[in-house]
Amino acid sequence: MTADPGAARDAEVLCELRGVDKEFEQAGGLPLRALEGISLTVARDEVVALLGPSGCGKSTILRILAGLTPPTRGEVLYHGEPLRGLNPGIGFIFQSFALYPWMTVVENVEAMLRAQGLARDAAAGRAARAIKVVGLSGFEEAYPRELSGGMKQRVGMARAFSLEPELLFMDEPFSQVDALTAESLRAEVLDVWAPTDRNPKSIVMVSHDIKEVVYMADRIVVLDANPGRVRTIVENRLARPRDYRSKDLLELVDRLHDIITGMEMPDVKVVAGEARRTFEPLPRAGAQEIEGLLEYLDARGGREDVFLIAADTDREYGKVIAATNAAELLGFVETPARTVVLSGDGNRYVRAKPADRKALFRERLLRLRLFDEVASALARSERHEVDRDFALELIAVNLPNEDFEGVFETLVDWARFGDLFSYEDKTGALALQ
Amino acid sequence: MLRRATQVFGDATGFLFRARASWIDLALVAVLGGSIFGLVNLAGEWTGALRPAVEIDLSLAALPGYALLSLSRGLAAYVLSLLFTLLYGYWAAKDPVAEKVLIPVLDILQSIPVLGFMPGLVLALVGAFPRSNVGLELASVLMIFTGQVWNMTFSYYHSLRTVPRDLQEVATLGRFSWWQRLRWVDLPFATIGLVWNSMMSMAGGWFFLMVSEAFVLGDRSFQLPGLGSYMSVAVARGDRTAMLGAIAAMVVMIVALDQVLWRPVVVWAQKFRADDSGQAAPMQSWFLDLLRRSRILSWAGSRARAVGRRSPFPVRARRPGEGSGLGRRARIASMAVFAGLLVAMALGSVGLVRLLARVPAPQWRGIGAASLLTLGRVLVAVALGTLWTLPAGIAIGLSPRLSRSLQPVVQVVASFPAPMLFPAVVAVLQAAGVGLGLGSIVLMLLGTQWYILFNVIAGAMAIPADLREAAEVYRVRAWQRFSILYLPAVFPYLVTGWVTAAGGAWNASIVSEYVSFQGRELAAEGLGARISVAASAGDFPALAGSIAVMAVMVVLFNRLVWRRFHRLAEMRFSLTR
Repeated sequence: MTADPGAARDAEVLCELRGVDKEFEQAGGLPLRALEGISLTVARDEVVALLGPSGCGKSTILRILAGLTPPTRGEVLYHGEPLRGLNPGIGFIFQSFALYPWMTVVENVEAMLRAQGLARDAAAGRAARAIKVVGLSGFEEAYPRELSGGMKQRVGMARAFSLEPELLFMDEPFSQVDALTAESLRAEVLDVWAPTDRNPKSIVMVSHDIKEVVYMADRIVVLDANPGRVRTIVENRLARPRDYRSKDLLELVDRLHDIITGMEMPDVKVVAGEARRTFEPLPRAGAQEIEGLLEYLDARGGREDVFLIAADTDREYGKVIAATNAAELLGFVETPARTVVLSGDGNRYVRAKPADRKALFRERLLRLRLFDEVASALARSERHEVDRDFALELIAVNLPNEDFEGVFETLVDWARFGDLFSYEDKTGALALQ
Repeated sequence: MLRRATQVFGDATGFLFRARASWIDLALVAVLGGSIFGLVNLAGEWTGALRPAVEIDLSLAALPGYALLSLSRGLAAYVLSLLFTLLYGYWAAKDPVAEKVLIPVLDILQSIPVLGFMPGLVLALVGAFPRSNVGLELASVLMIFTGQVWNMTFSYYHSLRTVPRDLQEVATLGRFSWWQRLRWVDLPFATIGLVWNSMMSMAGGWFFLMVSEAFVLGDRSFQLPGLGSYMSVAVARGDRTAMLGAIAAMVVMIVALDQVLWRPVVVWAQKFRADDSGQAAPMQSWFLDLLRRSRILSWAGSRARAVGRRSPFPVRARRPGEGSGLGRRARIASMAVFAGLLVAMALGSVGLVRLLARVPAPQWRGIGAASLLTLGRVLVAVALGTLWTLPAGIAIGLSPRLSRSLQPVVQVVASFPAPMLFPAVVAVLQAAGVGLGLGSIVLMLLGTQWYILFNVIAGAMAIPADLREAAEVYRVRAWQRFSILYLPAVFPYLVTGWVTAAGGAWNASIVSEYVSFQGRELAAEGLGARISVAASAGDFPALAGSIAVMAVMVVLFNRLVWRRFHRLAEMRFSLTR
């Protein structure tokens, strides 16, 4: 690694996205915008991390860089040239490991090498070396089903390393591995990357774990969701090897917390009753989660840092933020900066009896335009029933950027919880209770 | 390094161990010699002068020879089925344009009973080889093939379409050639489904063995030497000893195939399991264990692997940016074959329409009425089958002891071709004064109830232990337990069983509504009987009309009824969602 990563980047850009959009077709609706205007570069000798809540399209960015999916608009460059087909210089580590269950450890690694046209002996030699590097010697003839999650991911790493790729792509590589093993795997990946004269030269990783990202990356690309956009890019010049308890590292984690809450939990006053003209997008959080959050806050004096809640409940921060935003939308909490505070109504809710809770929840739902429209349509209808398609269309027209099936699910979940209206999956009918 | 060392050590200990087991190798050599002798004889049989109707020797001593001849036909048909499946399934899965035609075509072909293929095959092939037995033998093999192939092809196609995305991405990133993708990803993923369907297919092929070896077409009657013809002749002459002998020979053949072929294959296929969930008791095969101890085989295996290393397709390093989808040439070839297929189908439809135009209107009305009668029989047969297999299957599936001991038995019983038992059943029915109109339902039932039983057993075995414990803890009574737990839990499996059983019953109608008994032909009004009569009379317009109606009925019923049940089962009663 050079002393000044900025200088290195000017020297050589390995691959680059310029103004990339990605849309997915939705059955019978407008295409869903997954990514919008993504521009980023991956320079030589750096670790780039894409950080964002689930559903922000960070895996899609990785797959576009890899050439697995083409972008809808925009350019993908590899060494300054437009990328056609697959990115030629990459290894890929999957969240799900993606090992062939019918192949042994060594066969899984060798298959990649043989497919590159290597002779059997050369492939065997390289596979053996890669397996040794990840510490799996002795497990060559084991089948993936005999291995623990951590060991499976070691096979995934051996498979990637054996190709000696210029770029190593990792898609949430350690999220399905137990915490202690993940710690050692992170260090091992960095050990393989560190020598500047050997491949992989750079790493691009996707993660939702802030500490992991600060520990590993030189640059952190912070994304937000719906549609996925680059919010900001944070340089991380902490000296390696890094120490999780060092003051500098903790400060950077703190800064990222602020950035994320700044964009995911904006301090705009939601004045219920006035914002009637627009449809509020519903954060993807279950009603149970909202109630759980309120109980959690009540048990902790009514206020807590949102990232502490995530760490304490062992949940992805994106999920906690979604629940927080939902609770805020309903007026049960306020969110000054990173803190979640139980509001007066939230307090009332927690102390109320079950039936009163339902009534309060219901009353809050009806302040949202979407619920209000559906409820009045139900009231107008003779049989007090409307079709699922009516609600879907309402969502698609008024919230064109949202995944309308997802919003509908949330709508049904909240309405059922508040006893506002019922939904029968078999007939697709929403009905007044 | 370490790997090589353990291999040498393994070879050394293996050598010592195998020295004791050399009788296996002796037996193998004997079997090999026997097979060569058998193949030479078979070749003689095939290339011999054409004998449309062979005299069948009803002595018991002749039975083993006939059984082997039938076995060779069944296996040849199976090899053909496998080749067809690999090609057709691959094509349908990889070419999205062709897929839109290939899959519906497969659906229609599946609904055509064997007699629908018989006249075309026999006329074409016997015409192509007027002097030797090859044409007739091929026709018989292809008739067995039509009873085996379709579900295998569906299973393979379905597997290819459901390879998990991440496993495909690894292949794409690794730039696998089409051959590597097939060998390392597609085939292994499809293996387990293919093996189970192969076992079912083999049984399906035996079902029409009698029809496939002895048939009448207009004024010509054909009879090939084999177990099916032996049984037909024995029935015609009313020779009880010969009938029992044929049934025994069939049972021996099925059990032997199960032990020597399918069981080892199933055990071997376990390594292609995609999920991590360990089976309670891994399956065992004594025969596979024996083979694994053979020195000759391990030597031959290592030779074969050495040859296999020299891949049949030259591996070249691909240039960066090169796609790994179907190559341009492959796409052009696929389009050309597809165009050819469309032309052939168009010509076929024109021919069919011409043929159908010769069917007079009153006959159409007759066919329509007959099809409703047969539909009624099919539904009654499925209902009756459900009546006893549902409780029995649940009882077997819930008891590990019962399912362990009974499942192999049920498998063999289900593979036994029911038409061989028809004469005995018809005799009983006649004695009881039941006509074939109702009796044919019993005959259909005989062949198709097993599909329901199989599936119900599988469903009952898959009921999670916690649901059963909950029923126990809350002291749910037996009847309620059945209605709130067992029935909903096995329902998706029951639907699969119904679909298969109904399809089988439609096909079986051609042998159940028209039965030879003691030299007489018994017939009941119905679509199956009409097909049988038309085929043996060589009345091609009537045959085409009846079969077209049957195909339409089966496909429509699948679309309108069974598909709804499937959807209901998936949405309401799936335990995995």
